[in-house]
Amino acid sequence: MMHRFILLCAALSMTACVHNMNIDRSELDDARAAIAAAKAAGAEKCAPKLQAEAVATLYWAAHEMTEVGYHPEENAELAARAEAKAKAAHQKARKGCSVKVVSAPVEVITLDGVYFGNNSDDLMPASVAILDNGVKSLKQRADIKVEVAAHTDSRGSSAYNQALSERRAASVKQYLVSHGIDAARLTSKGYGESTPIADNMTAAGQAKNRRVELRVLSK
Amino acid sequence: MKAILLILTLFTFALPATSGGFFVSIDERTNAMNEQLQGKNDYHAHLARALADIAAEEKAQRDSSVAKEFMSMAEAHAAQSGGAK
Repeated sequence: MMHRFILLCAALSMTACVHNMNIDRSELDDARAAIAAAKAAGAEKCAPKLQAEAVATLYWAAHEMTEVGYHPEENAELAARAEAKAKAAHQKARKGCSVKVVSAPVEVITLDGVYFGNNSDDLMPASVAILDNGVKSLKQRADIKVEVAAHTDSRGSSAYNQALSERRAASVKQYLVSHGIDAARLTSKGYGESTPIADNMTAAGQAKNRRVELRVLSK
Repeated sequence: MKAILLILTLFTFALPATSGGFFVSIDERTNAMNEQLQGKNDYHAHLARALADIAAEEKAQRDSSVAKEFMSMAEAHAAQSGGAK
């Protein structure tokens, strides 16, 4: 009994002393170098989510590599994931930190109620009436050029959200063109999760951030 | 008497190291951290969330000591979050 209790206490005191994350392992050289390069390019400020995911994945890979029951393929996959995220953060930092001259929209028409299938660019039937109103407005105001802008919430990876928003913007543009709006008056652009208008930590905020707008570029 | 004293000493020694796990679950710590980080989107806030996700994953794999370690790292970064929105 006494021995069991001593063993239990010793085990309890040791559980919080697990420090087996050696990120200096040679298997992590490439990921570590990619993270350092991204940081030097300003990724912590310009691409904080991607850079943070890269660093967290690096720690995870470092931990997994010291575990009993070593799984080389899984660990290599984690290290590669950390490196890929760091490279994406680096790329985004190089683009995102430079000063961009963007023509500000004259007016923004939010198409409230335009919904898509989950992780899809297929328009839901409920969106048709809203888009038809958009078509009507554009026909009435034949002198304006607009950018169809699609935004996502921040769930999922930045790269995935960017691609999804681009497909959704293109899908809405296609709908407008197929209903008689001159394609020369329209451009489409996906903004991914880069321009939230509400708190992404709540479901209500995420719903507001998933949106499509018509940004009037000229009158 | 001596034995009881020894047991108590050992147990007291062990408690501080494990109290986070005994008294507050990873889920509760994650919820508290998320509340603290609400609206924050700077690097440390994102890193804190990413580390908490890993803690949850490790917990799901029943590796509670590692889950606690990742959670502690998450909380340390949450504390460093400057609150950029």
